[in-house]
Amino acid sequence: MPTLTLKTLKEYRRAIIGWTVGMCAFLGMYISIYASMKDSPDILSRSALAKYPGALRDLMGGMLDIGTGVGYLQAIAYQMLGPLLLVMCAAILGNRAIAAPEQSGTLELTLTLPIDRKQLVLQRWVGLFLGLLTIAVITLLVILAAQSGAGMGVPVGHVLAAHTGLFLVALFFGTVALAVGAAVGRRQTALTVVGVWAVAGYVVETLGRNADWISWARWLSPFHYFLDGRPLYAGWPVGDYLVLAGATAVLLLTAVLAFDRRDVGV
Amino acid sequence: MTDMTAVVETEGLTKFYGKRRGLEDLTLAIQPGEVFGYLGPNGAGKTTTIRLLLDVIRPTSGRMSVLGADPRDPKVRARIGYLPGELELEGKEKARDYLTFLADVRGGVSRGRIDELAERLEADLSVAMGKLSKGNKQKVGLIQAFMHDPELLILDEPTSGLDPLVQQEFLAMVREVRTTGRTVLMSSHVLAEVEHVSDRVGIVRAGRLVAVEDVAALRERAVRKVEFHFDAPVPREAFEGLPGLRDLVVEGASVRCTIDGRPDPLIKAAAKFTTVHMVSAEPDLEEIFLTYYSDEERHHAHAHA
Ligand SMILES: Nc1ncnc2c1ncn2[C@@H]1O[C@H](COP(=O)(O)OP(=O)(O)OP(=O)(O)O)[C@@H](O)[C@H]1O
Ligand SMILES: [Mg+2]
Repeated sequence: MPTLTLKTLKEYRRAIIGWTVGMCAFLGMYISIYASMKDSPDILSRSALAKYPGALRDLMGGMLDIGTGVGYLQAIAYQMLGPLLLVMCAAILGNRAIAAPEQSGTLELTLTLPIDRKQLVLQRWVGLFLGLLTIAVITLLVILAAQSGAGMGVPVGHVLAAHTGLFLVALFFGTVALAVGAAVGRRQTALTVVGVWAVAGYVVETLGRNADWISWARWLSPFHYFLDGRPLYAGWPVGDYLVLAGATAVLLLTAVLAFDRRDVGV
Repeated sequence: MTDMTAVVETEGLTKFYGKRRGLEDLTLAIQPGEVFGYLGPNGAGKTTTIRLLLDVIRPTSGRMSVLGADPRDPKVRARIGYLPGELELEGKEKARDYLTFLADVRGGVSRGRIDELAERLEADLSVAMGKLSKGNKQKVGLIQAFMHDPELLILDEPTSGLDPLVQQEFLAMVREVRTTGRTVLMSSHVLAEVEHVSDRVGIVRAGRLVAVEDVAALRERAVRKVEFHFDAPVPREAFEGLPGLRDLVVEGASVRCTIDGRPDPLIKAAAKFTTVHMVSAEPDLEEIFLTYYSDEERHHAHAHA
């Protein structure tokens, strides 16, 4: 592994552990609630519907089937909170790749090492990729174990497909943060871009499903390529995932080229 | 420039930050084995020059070469030791682990070498870097700059934050580097900090290099106050009219005077008597340097008027 990637992972270690533990606790807790209530799905769906009226329900993906195993898993892990948490984590890690060390001043010495600037961005990104992958794999294993324990009955292949989409969305937004940081070197700018794009993108994708006046914008939302194909129900939306992966690659290339051209730390 | 052997070579090097001038039209050559002191007041352009030489920032115009190559070439940077002017070290990482990382990227440094430098500078490497005091951070910065025995050291205000003893140790390290024929470029605000190790000094002011001087030549031109005490009264004629001698006061067995340049004639004159005690104040190079370059500047102002 390149030295700088290893170093990046060391810097991320605490965050990776923290987010993994937090997300696993969150998912484990909600799946255990399902286990205790699955014999009375009516109560489950009635209480859920009462809690989320109208548009909120649309944001949560409809929740009509919250009483079923697959509907419940979709609602807690893959609809809103799961992506939201992992995207936040990705944005923070992506910011710590370039913008944060540049603003604190620690990037200057790294930059004067015998590492090409393009390599610097790439090796940092590989660190981000591996960090997010670690969180994704561990949460996947927890979900698989918990859902089979709770008898949710979702095919393993579908969980794997949905989780891959979740990972791709997070990686995309992490790469956005890294790329904005590489281009302008401001962590606040990077966080704002990710925040606005993620929230607007999510709203457009979920509410836009039932509102024509914003549905045209759905293709701009990264969540569209994750949620629209309903991977937890239908398996791999290969084309959509390729769009996400391709967009991430384009962003990474932009980051590499932008960082190679500019003054650092000014 | 045709001089191919220079370690650092710049020609018309200019950097503007938007409309703000950082450095303008710097033409400079630093030779192998030379210790070059780069002086100037706050905001003069020292850090700008140094960041350009390390490809942290890119010139607006002009060209430069470092160790015979473009500083964009990452291979060249392995042969440079760099101490940033505003060194930032943070987090829970231990200084030793950070040094090991830097050493690995530069192709490896023996553990003994890091320990040896840490011992010389009395640096504690087992502390989390975020908890180090300013001076101790500076020591870590110096260790990483020296540890891989680079051919060229570029040090931005290396003595800032160091206590006098550590400063002396640092200057000894610079001398050792020069002894082995390697090259040093170091910046400072005051001549006194660098004059004892520098071969040449350059002064930069408001983005422009206004003077480059040989330290030995400066010292020859320096003004020195000297006092001799003899075992018996001496005649004034023995000292009067010596080349470079001014402000001569002879009172019985003691002689006081000021001497410009070499003290040799005075020493030879004094050798005819029996000296009991002698005082020679350190020449104030700073003073003559400052007069020198403010004259130079006035000259410039006239030329442009
Ligand atoms: N990032 C920046 N943006 C705009 N102007 C800058 C920037 N960095 C430096 N400057 C300007 O360039 C000029 C030279 O600054 P530089 O940092 O090179 O000075 P210096 O000689 O290192 O000063 P000091 O002794 O205070 O470290 C100053 O006028 C400064 O304001
Ligand atoms: Mg400076």
